[in-house]
Amino acid sequence: MAKAKWMVTAAALFGLACGAASAQTVKIGYLPSTVGQALTQAWKTGIENTLKGQQNVSFQALDAQMKAEIQVTMMDDFINQGYNAIILQPIDAAALTASVKKAEGKGIPVITLNTDTKLPHAAVVTMDDEGAGYMVGQEIGKALNGKGNVAILQSPPGAQAGVEREKGFRAAMAKLYPDIKIVGAQNAAWNKDKAIEIMNSFLQVNKQLDAVFAVNDNMAEGAMIAAESAGRLGQIKIWGFNGQKSTLALIEQGKITGTAYTNAYDQGATAAKVALDLLSGAKKKGSKTEVITVPPFAATKDTVAQIKPEQRW
Amino acid sequence: MSVSAIRRLILTGLLIAIGIALSIANPTFLTMDNLMTLLQEASLTGIVAIGFTLILITAGIDMSIGAVIAITSMICVNFISHTQLPAYIYIPIALAGGCAIGAINGFFITYFKLPEFIVTLATRGILAGLALIIAVKDEQGFVQNVFIEDEVFLSLGETVGPVYIVTIVFIVLAIATQFFMKRTRAGTNIYAAGANPTAARLSGINVDRTLIGTYMFSGFCAALASIFLAARMMTAMPEFGIGSELDVIASVVIGGTPFTGGVGDIWGTIIGTLFIALIKNGILKLGLSPYIQPIVIGGIIIVTVVLDVWYKHHAEKKATLAARRKAMQKEVAA
Repeated sequence: MAKAKWMVTAAALFGLACGAASAQTVKIGYLPSTVGQALTQAWKTGIENTLKGQQNVSFQALDAQMKAEIQVTMMDDFINQGYNAIILQPIDAAALTASVKKAEGKGIPVITLNTDTKLPHAAVVTMDDEGAGYMVGQEIGKALNGKGNVAILQSPPGAQAGVEREKGFRAAMAKLYPDIKIVGAQNAAWNKDKAIEIMNSFLQVNKQLDAVFAVNDNMAEGAMIAAESAGRLGQIKIWGFNGQKSTLALIEQGKITGTAYTNAYDQGATAAKVALDLLSGAKKKGSKTEVITVPPFAATKDTVAQIKPEQRW
Repeated sequence: MSVSAIRRLILTGLLIAIGIALSIANPTFLTMDNLMTLLQEASLTGIVAIGFTLILITAGIDMSIGAVIAITSMICVNFISHTQLPAYIYIPIALAGGCAIGAINGFFITYFKLPEFIVTLATRGILAGLALIIAVKDEQGFVQNVFIEDEVFLSLGETVGPVYIVTIVFIVLAIATQFFMKRTRAGTNIYAAGANPTAARLSGINVDRTLIGTYMFSGFCAALASIFLAARMMTAMPEFGIGSELDVIASVVIGGTPFTGGVGDIWGTIIGTLFIALIKNGILKLGLSPYIQPIVIGGIIIVTVVLDVWYKHHAEKKATLAARRKAMQKEVAA
């Protein structure tokens, strides 16, 4: 008898807890590759600013620590906890496809940032990686008058965004500037320390190095540090990608030549807006992934002033 | 009651307590979906941990398990993208690959009498590099993580009813291994080789062969886990599994298999794996930073090991005292 009473109480408590949780709060999850980068922080700020004005919206960010397995686990957790929408930066296009499919199968729209997955989902809000890589290629080619030696600081193998940037860059070189030689390309893992190490070896091997394209700004900053300490910064044009605050400042100082800037606040805000519209029904999900491209901007010493302080991240 | 029985009771109690606490803190914890995902996570680590338990029982260590996971998944995607062979042919080949790596580890350890840690750390490095070399590349030479569409292969990531296939495989493998360890001569040999290799050799056990067999089994388990991981994620990546060693070691050690060899069993490892999976799931459910996760796991390892040592010391002291008292009583009686 006592046992039965307990069970009823427990069941009632459980029901109460469930009821409280489903009281019309909309839960939005944000799952970037890692939270420890300027870009993913800027996205987060953009998302939070958009969600701030909304009532009954709760927001949670998790850190996948740059490991696809962990990100898949966290996707499962968002799904199991009944999140209503997920904003995801897939660490890998193929590896996150199954998770995105699972979420969408349960009616949870997934909005991806920068890296698309292999099956259709709600939307992808992306920088134009390949196009911007091409743009950087054009800028470097012009500055070198179509002749010289360039090196590339790559992203880890399989990281789609970095690979697209490099492809765009190489396409520009092959098509427009066949006389420019790519003398080296090494993976610096998105990472400043690693970039310094690799740039040092580029500098030792190549007595003449005219330009470096780093597929993100962290690595461009690393390349700059290495070139500066070797006393060759003046002879080498360094281009980064993303346009984070610190890199823009270095461009103003003339230490880094340029970067492909994207307004990451805007990008995050757009993703959040899409999520809200899908949840309120203002926007209907199509059979194909909606692609929203945020245009790149070539930030150099001449143009960097056009990026206002509130647009810097 | 024996030390291991008591600690197992304590662990099971803790497991239930944490489970109850979590279900109060977050009502989504007790949903079927969440429990099944938790078991799926536990099983992926657990399968590797079964092999690792045997390694610890021999007083060895296998640092190559993570890299075996990476290379096995690469072998599978190579078959998938470059051949038309069906899954039931290349999966056994990939599993055999895991065994072969284990055999190589075992060979170097026994034939050249090298420390297990050094040998398996070296193979870890070699395999991690090889995984990148054999990774499928696109036409421009960039590593491409293949999106697997082989239905037979993918079906391994599915469920039977609500239960994931990997969980069923984990349970079956655990029962079979426990039976093997406790009820067969080969199992007893593994305990003997770990407790005292010289004594084992003198009593006619082929210790080298036993060790090689154990490392092969560890390689097999890692390869098996790799296949389920790839099926779950519908892809394979050259960095799969690298770094997963901590979870595996933690599961086994928390389960009560010490580094000193000669003792331990699979039941403990099952509880240990569930424990780790529960902690990880709980950290997400409570909305804590995932950075805390390795700290918590590391902390739990220290605490359990300290308790183990302390309790063992305590039990030994008690036993000596009891023996002394008995001897004294005998003297008095005489």
